[in-house]
Amino acid sequence: MHRLRRLGDPYVVWMATLILLPTVFLVLLSFSDLSFFRPGGFTLTLSQLRVFGSPIVRRSLSNSFLFASGVSVASFLIGYPVAYLLTTLRESTKRILMAILILPLWTNMLVRITAWERIFSQNSIFSDVFGFAIPILGTAGAVWIGLLAMYLPFMILPLFSVLDKMDKRLIEAAKDLGANDVQTFLRVVLPLSASGIVSGFIMTFLPSLTAFALPETLGWRNIPMIGMEIQKQFILKGFEADAINQGAVISLSIMAFSVLSFLLIAKVDKEGETLL
Amino acid sequence: MKKKLIELQHVKKAFGDLVVLDDFNLYINENEFVTLLGPSGCGKTTCLRLIGGFETPDEGVIVFDGKAINDLEPNKREINTCFQRYALFPHLNVFENVAFGLRIRKVPKAELEERVTSTLKLVKLEDFATRTIGTLSGGQQQRVAIARAIVNRPKVLLLDEPLGALDLKLRQEMQYELKEMQRQLGITFIYVTHDQEEALTMSDTVVIMNEGKILQIGTPEDIYNEPNNRFVANFIGESNIFEGTMLDDYLVRFCGRDFKCVDRGFKRGEAVDVVIRPEDFDFVPPSKGKIVGVVDSLLFKGVHYEINVIVDHHEYTIHTTKYRAVGDKVGLMVEPSNIHVMRKQAPRA
Repeated sequence: MHRLRRLGDPYVVWMATLILLPTVFLVLLSFSDLSFFRPGGFTLTLSQLRVFGSPIVRRSLSNSFLFASGVSVASFLIGYPVAYLLTTLRESTKRILMAILILPLWTNMLVRITAWERIFSQNSIFSDVFGFAIPILGTAGAVWIGLLAMYLPFMILPLFSVLDKMDKRLIEAAKDLGANDVQTFLRVVLPLSASGIVSGFIMTFLPSLTAFALPETLGWRNIPMIGMEIQKQFILKGFEADAINQGAVISLSIMAFSVLSFLLIAKVDKEGETLL
Repeated sequence: MKKKLIELQHVKKAFGDLVVLDDFNLYINENEFVTLLGPSGCGKTTCLRLIGGFETPDEGVIVFDGKAINDLEPNKREINTCFQRYALFPHLNVFENVAFGLRIRKVPKAELEERVTSTLKLVKLEDFATRTIGTLSGGQQQRVAIARAIVNRPKVLLLDEPLGALDLKLRQEMQYELKEMQRQLGITFIYVTHDQEEALTMSDTVVIMNEGKILQIGTPEDIYNEPNNRFVANFIGESNIFEGTMLDDYLVRFCGRDFKCVDRGFKRGEAVDVVIRPEDFDFVPPSKGKIVGVVDSLLFKGVHYEINVIVDHHEYTIHTTKYRAVGDKVGLMVEPSNIHVMRKQAPRA
């Protein structure tokens, strides 16, 4: 094994340059007035935290949390029955349906967003084919549907993974011991799928929380979300004083949230079986 | 007069084109220890699942305590199951696994604790109450499964090869414990196994099954000593089975010789199967033996030797404590009462 360790070196370099180093920069930017466009010294400061006082940032944050919570709860309510039904099917049917579920994920997300953009437009191939249009582009509804469609598979997959592995005889055992369908579900199936539920929630919640291309394209700028705000800080306002620092502060806070979430997954799902 | 608790009448069950049980009739008395014994795939587990309510019969009636229960959900039946490979709840500890059925029935807390604790004591797991299932050995898990079932005080306990995963020593201990429990609790046990020794050891009644049909029902002694046909004789212990002809009442001819026997009621000249258990042969000096042969092989089996003797191209298997060397000429003797004559098995349709 020692001889093989050298093979890991490129990976270490990769991790250091592309993950560790940027994170260090992010922290540095967050707590200083460092700027790439203002060469010279920099001072450490907590003043960048004032960005959270900005009304648009607050609105974006609350929007993001609202949509992320809503999307993950809706995904759960739709995804759980779907995942459960999938496990009861014949192996061949199961595979076909899983492929249908997974296949779109291989398409680039921007392409899928563009597809939704077309569907929600007044004139599109969709309206030509079906004879009616859903012109909801730029509304909250478009963002809701778009996010749900985008991240629902990430709820179904971990749920399917735990439910499919669950020993079906446990359900028989519960019934044998007098439990009706509801009791069987609440006392056996639900607790045994806890790890999948947590993974599913995190895997739908986090990406919807940080989504920026989707709300921008489908909601135009009517539904400001935190990802869009970060993007704005770095790209649109990049030359303004403290802009990238404030972008970094927001990014860092979202990142801290992600890390906490993954610690939670690690706690409930020790084998990591529900992560893809 | 014993009371019939469960009755299966003309039950048919098929999975797709595969008919597992066909015109299956069986009744089980109260407080009886009944074993369904047969090779894998003979329909015994299906029979158990029908009684437990996990399958519904395609045809026929299942009667429990005088009422047809074909469509009764498993959770409404006064029957509990000890599943093959246990099916314990991995997210609950030992105590909660056992308490599961009582919690569903909303048994008061004090009574629940008392019943779970005493049941755990019965299966000798009182010190394991807070352990998680994953940390238990196979034998301990098996006892949790039994405790989880009997704590509900069901009228009937179904056991599906519960000892299959255990090693020989533990299996024998558990056989004894299960039998003791059944006596103490007065519960009807329906036990499924493919292990003939287990069936003979534990049961009041043994039901021999093959290909979805009952071949013989009887006490372990009946089944062993008076097998109905070639299949039963072969399945229950080792047997020498010979083709023979019934010459007259109490006289049978096989292997080219006439033997006295204790069977009667056959047609004169009827073709029969003759069973002689390996332990029923005795060695005698070759001059006195009706059958004389040569020792072909010898195996030491612990309690006894297994000796194969070749007599006129027929092979006889003999279990004996007496040693004979390979190549020895031996005479064989068998008591008339140990010659068991069976009707030929009806050819399969």
